[in-house]
Amino acid sequence: MSRIAYLIPVAVLAVVLISSSVFVVDERQRALVLQFGQIRQVINDPGLNFKLPFIQNVQYYEDRILSLDTDPTEVTPSDDRRLVVSAFARYRIVDVERFVEAVPGGVRQVEGLLEGILNDRIRAVLGADGVTSNTILSEERAALMQQITVQARTRSNSLGVTVLDVRLQQTNLPAQNLDATFARMRAEREREAADEIARGEEAAQRIRATADRTVVELVSDANREAEITRGEADAERTRIFAEAFGQDAEFYDFTRSLAAYERALRQNSTFVISPDSEFFEYFDGSALGGGNSLAGPSE
Amino acid sequence: MAGNSGGPWGGGGGGNRGNQGSNGSGNDPRRPGGPGRDGSGQNIPEIDDIVRKGQEQLRVLMGGRGGGTGGGSGGGGESPISPRTMWIGGSIAAVAAYLFASAYTVQPGEQGVELFLGSEYRITDDGLNFAWWPVFTAEVLATEQERTESIGNNRSGASDQGLMLTTDENIVDIDFDVVWNISNPADFLFNLRDPESTIRAVSESAMREIIAASELAPILNRDRQLIGEQAEVLIQQTLDGYDAGINILRVNLDRADPPAEVIDAFRDVQAAEQERDRLERTADAYSNRVTAGARGEAAQILEVAEGYRARVVNEALGEASRFLAVLTEYEVAPEVTRRRLYLETLERVLGETDLVIIDGDTGGGQGVVPYLPLNELRRPSGDNTTTTGSSN
Repeated sequence: MSRIAYLIPVAVLAVVLISSSVFVVDERQRALVLQFGQIRQVINDPGLNFKLPFIQNVQYYEDRILSLDTDPTEVTPSDDRRLVVSAFARYRIVDVERFVEAVPGGVRQVEGLLEGILNDRIRAVLGADGVTSNTILSEERAALMQQITVQARTRSNSLGVTVLDVRLQQTNLPAQNLDATFARMRAEREREAADEIARGEEAAQRIRATADRTVVELVSDANREAEITRGEADAERTRIFAEAFGQDAEFYDFTRSLAAYERALRQNSTFVISPDSEFFEYFDGSALGGGNSLAGPSE
Repeated sequence: MAGNSGGPWGGGGGGNRGNQGSNGSGNDPRRPGGPGRDGSGQNIPEIDDIVRKGQEQLRVLMGGRGGGTGGGSGGGGESPISPRTMWIGGSIAAVAAYLFASAYTVQPGEQGVELFLGSEYRITDDGLNFAWWPVFTAEVLATEQERTESIGNNRSGASDQGLMLTTDENIVDIDFDVVWNISNPADFLFNLRDPESTIRAVSESAMREIIAASELAPILNRDRQLIGEQAEVLIQQTLDGYDAGINILRVNLDRADPPAEVIDAFRDVQAAEQERDRLERTADAYSNRVTAGARGEAAQILEVAEGYRARVVNEALGEASRFLAVLTEYEVAPEVTRRRLYLETLERVLGETDLVIIDGDTGGGQGVVPYLPLNELRRPSGDNTTTTGSSN
């Protein structure tokens, strides 16, 4: 029993010693071994590590990609139209030693510093000569983002971090310009609406005019055909008459004259005639004796 | 673990170290599926399963311990427990507890990542697995589970209202969902600190980039499908650049509308389009009506002309044939017929008219001066008809 009584404190001591001298660095971490504030060891790879118990301690740092969103800032591209731009950056601590020296405040502090760098670089790149708001609002945006990334990466190296990627988030108009833009959009739509209606009226008028023209064409066409038909009919009548009446033109003159008298001299007419006319040949009785008249042979 | 007092971000890693042993890792937001016994409640359909398995394991554990103590009490009854029995029972209980602590279950659709002393060791598939504490630790991720990030629908603050500026400086209101799952659990765990917010930020940025390079009109109608596909590709590329271990399944473009402030104007345009259509159709109706009427009129004119032709020709034929018939008979006795026709005609004509017969010879050569009151002859012509009619 006495051996056990000795063993227990020894075992406890051993456990305490081991647990304070062995530490594990996770895949997600980097670590620094500090001895009274001095950096003794930098651990970049995961695994089991050892340190001196009690006099050394370990600080862990994030090895994963960290994110940073910047607050919207106004930039002025070279065409003087202001844009509200926000961006986000993805960065990673690559040099723990430099990081801990440059940024004793840790991630919170580095975010502030990085945001400053980002805003500065965003303004520089988007405000550069030749970069207009049209450039930002185009397919060249990706190239601009790449420029910002490269420049921000160079400037943040001293912080012990590397900027993997900077991407523009918002590129919006300032709030005071928003109303003007909406008004412009409305005006464009109204123009479009007016244009639609005008085109509709134009088309309607065109259709009506075409229809009216078609009407005139159809009717006049029909009239032409009708006149041709009438002409043919008249010609036919003339031919028929000529053929028939040509057989005895003198008799035709006679009968046609008689028919004309009958038709032309109606009840309202007043005749002043002399009894000498052939109609009254027998009227005064003078022809009764003579036998040389037309009616003579009948007596 | 002694160094857990380290940097301000080191604490999370330290806490994770004891996951399997402590059975209390449900506070880690990175593990939506959770290990088998976790009970963090995010995997609702599997909760019963988890609870049941947990109870079974607990029963095994209790049984082991109970067996141990039972053995002890059986050996000594009321007498003090012998140290030997205590050692055996204790070690059995310790082994059982150790097994229990090291076992973890991976459900279908999940994958486990085992770490050997903090570094990646292997990926485990579904089933019962053991991560031998404290050298091994394991994390289970629901890799197949589809997760959705909704962007632009005003749920998460005013900053992403979904209003985006197009290349022609119009503003469009976009809502979209990004559906994703985990393609590489190790990358997912080790490379990004906040995957959800990264996906959101990358998606919004990608969509804004695409919208910024596009004009308003195509976004509103025909390019919607295309924009979703472009965004999917761009988001995936960017995330692959981070080795995020994330797979974008699809991008659903829920809404691509003009902003609320101007949507009325857009509706007015639609109304104007309708109005245009209406105007054209009205004109078409007019056109149809008028041309049909004209066709009818033309047909009528033609028919009238044909009728005229028929009438004229028939009349001519009739008259000619009448003339020819009379002519035939006339040629038989021309003189008599001629006189008869003359007299008959004059009889009819003169019988119906006023006659004034003046004998030019009765006055002995001088005769009457024929005075014709032409004005009066005209005027009472209406009455004349009746008087002469009655006198005759």
